[in-house]
Amino acid sequence: MKDADYAELKKGGMMRQREEGRFSVRLHVAGGGLTARELAAIAAIAERFGRGAVHLTTRQGVEIPHVAAADLAAVKEALAESGIGVGVCGPTVRTVTACQGSAVCPSGVIDAAALAATLDTTFYGAPAPHKFKFAVTGCANNCIKVEENDLGVKGWIEPCWHKDGCNYCGICAAVCPSRSIAVSTDADTHDLDVGTCIGCGDCIAACPSGGMQEKGKGYLIYAGGKFGRTPLLGRRLGKVLRTPEEAVETARQVLDFFRAVGKPKERFGDTLKRVGFDALESHLAHHGGGHR
Amino acid sequence: MTPSLDITGFVCPMTFVRVKMRLEAIAPGGRLLVVLKDQALKNVISSLKTDGHTVVGVSRQDENFVIEIEKKA
Repeated sequence: MKDADYAELKKGGMMRQREEGRFSVRLHVAGGGLTARELAAIAAIAERFGRGAVHLTTRQGVEIPHVAAADLAAVKEALAESGIGVGVCGPTVRTVTACQGSAVCPSGVIDAAALAATLDTTFYGAPAPHKFKFAVTGCANNCIKVEENDLGVKGWIEPCWHKDGCNYCGICAAVCPSRSIAVSTDADTHDLDVGTCIGCGDCIAACPSGGMQEKGKGYLIYAGGKFGRTPLLGRRLGKVLRTPEEAVETARQVLDFFRAVGKPKERFGDTLKRVGFDALESHLAHHGGGHR
Repeated sequence: MTPSLDITGFVCPMTFVRVKMRLEAIAPGGRLLVVLKDQALKNVISSLKTDGHTVVGVSRQDENFVIEIEKKA
């Protein structure tokens, strides 16, 4: 087999192994969600065409290693019969990772799994200057680590202060992990900085008098994160989005921006370092959507 | 005199468990003072709110908080 053939196979999720003639077949999984039936099908295929083992990837995916080159087409067909697609590699939108979100987790603020499924349907495999990774996490606890991704979405609870309910006890300031609240118990002043608020909702949960209340739930976007050899943490955009549709639309605009200004083989975080984070903010400002 | 409970030596979940247990010995509408650290505030107060009790007073005692709870009537 020629190198060009290997490259083509890799783009389609068939990764050449160290062992001659064997491939690890990457499956298409979104948000780490698989049905028991799909798992059974994967197990049967791994038994039949691999060596009875699967590899769980770092991005909640599944690979079936040790498949012979001659069996690749048959594996793809067998997977398709069970409704399982083959994954992607190369300069494309990759596996979308997600926690279980509000559909399952008591801490969940947004339906992370549903949004991950929509992002996957909309963008998976789409071309980009370099690999592009999405992640969705249901709340400020950030189990999925969105800042490690090219684009991350995080559920947040926006607090608001109600003067009438406040007795200036200072509990909200004491529990705030981002020190976004300052209260003077003597002068009866209360200052809330929503710009630095991480949206955990602790101030609302702890407030004994109704002074801190929930204004609404939303979607924070983080851009430009990656891991690999030279890690970068994604930075929070100023926009706070109110609906999953707005989050998907903003993801589209961010991807458009990357396609317009990114260089081939340049990760998005490096693009942002080169052109400036403000260039992304202003691109988004000109394309509407979002609050603040 | 209002009974008092110091939970500064406990960590979650024993903080709010201790408060719940102490409240069981108090008559409906009765009051309890709880001395607690910053890190116990969220879970203790949110659990009290969930159970229908009211925090009627908040004060400081050195680096700790003191909350006065009125048990659900």
